Order: sequence, then C-alpha cells, then structure tokens
Amino acid sequence: MTVLLEVDGVTKRFGGLTAVKSASFTLQKGELTGILGPNGAGKTTLFNILTGFMAPTTGSIAFNGEPLRQLAPYKIVNRGMARTFQLTRPFVGMNLLENVLVACLSPRAHGDKDKEERARHLLDQVGLGGRGSEPVETLPYGDLRRLEIARALATRPDLLLLDEPFAGLGSSEIEPLAQLIRRLHREENLTILLIEHKLREFMALVSRVIAMNFGEIIAVGPPDEIVRNPKVIEAYIGKTEADHASA
Amino acid sequence: MRSISGIDIAGGIVVITILALAPMLAASNYLTGVLTVCAIYGIWASSWDFMSGLTGRENFGHSLFIGAGAYTAGFLATIWSTNPWLSLPMAVGIAIAFSLLVGFPTLRLRGPYFALAMLSASAILQRLCLIFWEYTGGEEGLYGLDPLIKNPLHYYWFVLGVLAITVVILTLLAQSHWGLLLRAIRGDEATCQAAGINVTFYKIASLMISAGFAGLGGALYAHYQLQVSPPLFSVVVSITVIIMVYVGGIGSIYGAAIAAILLTLLTEMLRGFGEYRLWIYTLTLMLILFFLPNGLIAPLWRRLTERLR
Amino acid sequence: MLQILIYGAVSSAIYAMLAVGFTLIFGVARILNLAHGSFYALGAYAAYVLTSLFKVPLFLAAPLAVLLVAGFGVVMERFLVRPLRSSQLAVLMITLAVSLAVEQALFITFGSEYRNVPSFVADKLSIGGVDISGQRLLALVAGVLVLLTLWLFIQRTRLGAAILAVSQDPEAAQYMGIPTNRIFSIVMAISAGTAALAGVLVSPFLTVQPTMGLLPMVKAFAIVIVGGLGSIPGSIIASLILGYSETIVAYLISSSWTELVSLVAVVVTLMIRPSGILGRRAAF
Repeated sequence: MTVLLEVDGVTKRFGGLTAVKSASFTLQKGELTGILGPNGAGKTTLFNILTGFMAPTTGSIAFNGEPLRQLAPYKIVNRGMARTFQLTRPFVGMNLLENVLVACLSPRAHGDKDKEERARHLLDQVGLGGRGSEPVETLPYGDLRRLEIARALATRPDLLLLDEPFAGLGSSEIEPLAQLIRRLHREENLTILLIEHKLREFMALVSRVIAMNFGEIIAVGPPDEIVRNPKVIEAYIGKTEADHASA
Repeated sequence: MRSISGIDIAGGIVVITILALAPMLAASNYLTGVLTVCAIYGIWASSWDFMSGLTGRENFGHSLFIGAGAYTAGFLATIWSTNPWLSLPMAVGIAIAFSLLVGFPTLRLRGPYFALAMLSASAILQRLCLIFWEYTGGEEGLYGLDPLIKNPLHYYWFVLGVLAITVVILTLLAQSHWGLLLRAIRGDEATCQAAGINVTFYKIASLMISAGFAGLGGALYAHYQLQVSPPLFSVVVSITVIIMVYVGGIGSIYGAAIAAILLTLLTEMLRGFGEYRLWIYTLTLMLILFFLPNGLIAPLWRRLTERLR
Repeated sequence: MLQILIYGAVSSAIYAMLAVGFTLIFGVARILNLAHGSFYALGAYAAYVLTSLFKVPLFLAAPLAVLLVAGFGVVMERFLVRPLRSSQLAVLMITLAVSLAVEQALFITFGSEYRNVPSFVADKLSIGGVDISGQRLLALVAGVLVLLTLWLFIQRTRLGAAILAVSQDPEAAQYMGIPTNRIFSIVMAISAGTAALAGVLVSPFLTVQPTMGLLPMVKAFAIVIVGGLGSIPGSIIASLILGYSETIVAYLISSSWTELVSLVAVVVTLMIRPSGILGRRAAF
C-alpha cells in the first residue's frame, strides 16, 4: 500500500469562524473512504481546499508524494485529483456528450485519438450510454450526478472526490449510484473519497470513515466502529436534539 | 453548436458572390468604397464575436485593437515609409501585444474587470493620441498613407477576400474542440477548472486571436482612408461593432459579419440624417435588446435552413 | 507643497463623489452602470440651462439640477435596466446605449462648443500663500459634506441598514421583507444625484461640453477597481490616492501625463491585489 494523499494540519478560517480545524489524515492508494459529518461540519470546505478552489489558512497537502501548494484547481485536476460538485454545475446549452468532451480535452486526458469516442465510452460507463445528444437542461438530478462523475473520470484521476453524491436523490436512485461507485472502485482501481452527512447511506459502501464535527476530525475507523464511537453518537444525537429544540 | 452543412457553404458562396459583384451595379467608386468599409466592419464584428461571443467575456474596447492596428499602419507609412504591405503583419502583431497587456491582468479574474479595463484602456489611448500630438498628429491624425492596391475595386475584392478567410478561420475554430472549450468557459468557469481546463489560457489566447484580426482590419481601414485619427479608438466604434454582433446573433460569427455589412449599408443610407444617425443606431440597439435578445441574422438563417432540410 | 495638498484634495473630493455612486449601485444592485458619466454631464448641463437660459439663481439651480438628474437615473433604472437585469451583458449594453444617447442629445441640442456656468463664489481665497478659487474650495467642502452625510445615512438610518442588507445578500433581504426594487430606485437616485452634484460643482471651472462625462467615468472605474468593486470606504481611499497622484504628477512632470496615472493604477492593482484595497474576493 502506498500513500496517495497526505493532509497535514489543514486549517481554514473565515474571519472569526474556523471552518476546518487542524485536519490531518492520509489516504492509501485504492481506498474507498467516506467523510462523515453533520451539515456545516466543514466537509465541503475541506474538499474545496484539497481541490484548490480555496487556499488553506495553514497546513499542507501532499498528493502522490508532491506538495500541492497554491496550485490552481485545473492544475490539481491534471495531477490526478478530480471532483464532483454537490450542486451539479453542468455546461448549459450543451448536450451530454459535449459536457464530457470538455474534460476529455484537458491535458491529462489527452492521448486518445478519438475524443468523441472516449466521451461516448465514459457516458456508457456511468450508465448514460446512447444519450449523448440530449440537452443537459432537462436531465433529472440523479443523471446529472452521473454526468459529473463521467466528467471527472475523463481526466483520468488517481483520486476521485465525490461531494455528497446522494444528496437530494430518491431512494430508488441511491442504490444504483452506490453500485456505480463500487464498480468504479473495483474495476478501475480508483481511490475514492466521498462526503456524506447521513450515516446510513454509505455504511455499506466505504471501508473507512473519517468523522468530522465543527471543523474537526473526531474519529477515524471502519464504519462499524464509527457507529459505536461515543463522540460520533454525541455529534449526531446532539445535532438531532438541537434540531428538535429549534423546531 | 450545429455543425456546418452543405446549405451553409452554399449560402456563404452565394453571399460572397453577390458581394463581389455588387460594385458592378453602380459602376461608381462610391459604392465600392462603402462596400470596402462594410467588409472591414465585418472583420471587426466577427473578430469581436469570436472572443466575447463565445466566452461571454464582453470586450467594451475593441476599438483599442482596431486603433492600434490602424496607427501601426500610420506610423509605418509616415515615419519609416516602409513597404505598405509590411503594415498588415505589423498591425496584427501590435494589436496582439495590446491584447496581452490588457488581457493578462484582467482575464485572470472573474467579474466585470475585463469589460471595464477594455473600455478604460481604449478611452485612455484615445486621450493619449491627443495629448502626445507631436507624434500622433493630434486631432488631425496621420496623413499620407499609401494604398495597398491602387484600383479601388481590386482593393475591395482583396478586403472581401480577407473577410471571407477571417470568417472561415474563426468559424472553423469555433466549431472545433477549441470553440467547445470557449463555450464551456461561457457556461461555468469553476466546472471548467474541475474538468482540468486552463481557463485563463484559453481566454487570453482567444483574445489574442480576436485582437489580431481586429488589428488587421484596422490596418486595412487605414490603407483605405489613407489616414488615421483618434476617433478610431472611440467607444462609439466599439459599441457599433457590438451592436452588429448583437444583430447578427451572438456566438455565430457569420451572423456578425453579415449584420456588419447590412448595418454599415444602412448607416450609409441614413447619412442624410446627419447627427441623428447615432440616435437611430442607439434606438436600434435598445429595440433589439428588448425584443430580439437572440439577434436577427443567425436565428433567421437557422429557421430558413431547417425548412430546406 | 501646500498647493499640492489643496488641489489634490479638491480632485479627490470630486472623484470620490463620482466613484461612490458608481460603486454603490454596483454593490447594491449589481448594476455596472456605464451611463454614470452621463449623470455628471447632465448635472453640469442642467446647471447651465437653469442659470443661463431660465435665469434661475444658482443656489436654487444647483439642487434643482441634482433632483432632475436623480429622477432621470430612477426612470432609467426602472424602465430600461430593470427589465434586462438577468443578463449582465444586456445591462452593460443598455447603460452604454443610454450614455451614447445622452451624449448625442447634448451634442444636438447644445453643439460641441464649451458652455459657461457662473461661479457660486467669485472670490479668490489665499491659504498660506496659495491662491485658490472659492469655487474649487466649495467643491471640496461640498464633497466632504456629501460623503459624510451618505456615510451617516447608511450607518445610522433604517433605510441605510436596508441598503446594506440588500448589498450583502439580496435574496435574504427579500425574504426579510425588504422591498429590494424600491431600494434599487433609491440607490440609483443617490448614485445619479451625487454624480450630478459633482458635475454642477465643477461646471464653473471645468469645460462643459457633451463628451465631458466619458473621462470622469473612466476615472471612476479606475478608482472603483483600485478601491475594490462595491466598497464605499475603498473607493474613498482610492479617490484620495488617485487625486493626489494625479496632482503630484501634474506638478512634477506635466499635466499631459496625468491620464496615465489611472491606467497604471488599474494595471498595478489588478496585478498585485485584484480585489482592490478593500474589495471582496475577486479571483479564485
């Protein structure tokens, strides 16, 4: 096993608010890991820092053994770390094929002679095969998530970051998407890190969980240990009580 | 984006043939001159559309590149009196240099910085032309350029040829993967970054291409007028070009070129209105903004060809 | 030295009056108003028409001119800008169209020759051996007063608080029951009014002609970029920086070079601190 990602003491402050507090963890190549935490725990901020969309206040990140300091997001993508967005942001006015094709034109994706063919293949892979000419505007939410994954895959990532892939999906859409993630992990030997705020959704999916609360990592371990961890229980039950109190 | 079909090519050939034969109608140098200006505006409008229409980064100072190209031709002719043909590549080079100067600091940023910077830069350059009148000739500008081609009709054909080549090159680029990336930038820059695309590079590169063609058009204009003067830098020139693109249908390139030709002809016909001309122009713009947000020429052509298919 | 201090303060005050309105309407309504220079020109022409043609005394003509232009701004926002607000390009186009229309209207009505507006104060004052016209001094005092009033208005009144709320988060403000559209109208009136006042104040000592709005608008852009788009304190600081740099350049080198100051300031700002002195984050 080799270390793919090493996060060391990453902190992000917005004015007086500390969104991520001294987060440190490592990811091994080939792992399927989840970051768990209630809303506002700093998960998406952490993602934005990893992918270069935000600069950390302090701390360092090493990817594939090289430090990622002050790199523009597209450069990080071209080093092999791709992401999806929680709020999907497709290119409007383009069809599905074109949406994926854009990413097939990135420097890291280069190498194929026929880029359209590769984009078509990627659509197949995520279960949108044969729908390349459909406009992106009318696509249901679940399919948009798949499109985002296809776009990320186009850049040939070593590490795929999925920002709440199940948020807003109906129960019938969740299982097929989880299967897709599992298959990508197994067949493409992809290292995957995904965010989720509901425990249930990914207990059966990931092999390791990083639990966060109020910007801090409170526990790391296999899912069955995490559900029994008192700090995690407190974070979730405390959260639920707070919800009741405010309701 | 719809790809080019046989009908589009046929349509293009018909339009170019009509334009090439049009001067024969009147056998007067006046019409030839007007058509030459039409073709030059076509180059300016399609070059604006390539960068701003595709990426959605509105350039409110295209006149900066036009003026830079024209003044390059002017300086070469009056100070160094070189071979006039040299002014075309030089104008392209200088315009591209200006595009880097303004584009590099502003296009890295999101928000309206690029639009503001281009507008300001062109206005300031116009001022500088007046302030440093010892070198630029001030209000009068520079006189005594040599024509590239003596026969006005032949020069018109040459300019029309340049327009045709410009539109073909820019359309092919817009249809290519490059064009797809520019349209993606228009859609969402953050998603482009997530797709591994160097957004700044593509924006600056497309501005350089746009500026190069604008500068070329500027030099062609200088060698048609045989003089250059500060109004070439004016905001009015930029806005005229933008109106043309708007009427043509943003992002279509051929629409911008055709709208430029039609609107220049219209302006000529309105010459009798004198100072009210710009008013009519402005009013046209307002009407289009409110009632034809997608423009006129490109949507019309699309609808026409869909019937024929 | 003292001369630089006084003249620099005068230009800074005038620039600040222009820039504050420009940045305010952007910060609150996200309208990048390319017609801002027209308000300045219209203010000057309104003062000219009222004093020279209708023989209105100046102390009455000045507020009247400001009110007229503020009204013009409100009408423009309501009927031309608001319907197109969803598209940034359309807003830029329509405001640019308005500025061209105003310039042409002025040109057709008054011709391109320079017009004169009488001074409010004819006396020349001498401060520490530096002669300065009372009119310039008045522009300085009025500018400072207007900015102070505006500051107090935004910080201390309910309406000001509502304006701040809209500028920070228009959607949330709307949910809280703040009538955003009415706020836009009010801010537009303030923005147009201050620009017009600047035009009225400078009209006696600068040239009044149709294209007079363009260059001050370019300066306002420069100030707003240097100070940070949408930040009022930033634009005031930037006005001081630009006003003084121009005065110093004019004094040390030549007044021809002053035009370059704003260009250099903009380029340097965008290179080293793109969000401006006090602006919000502009880049990735």
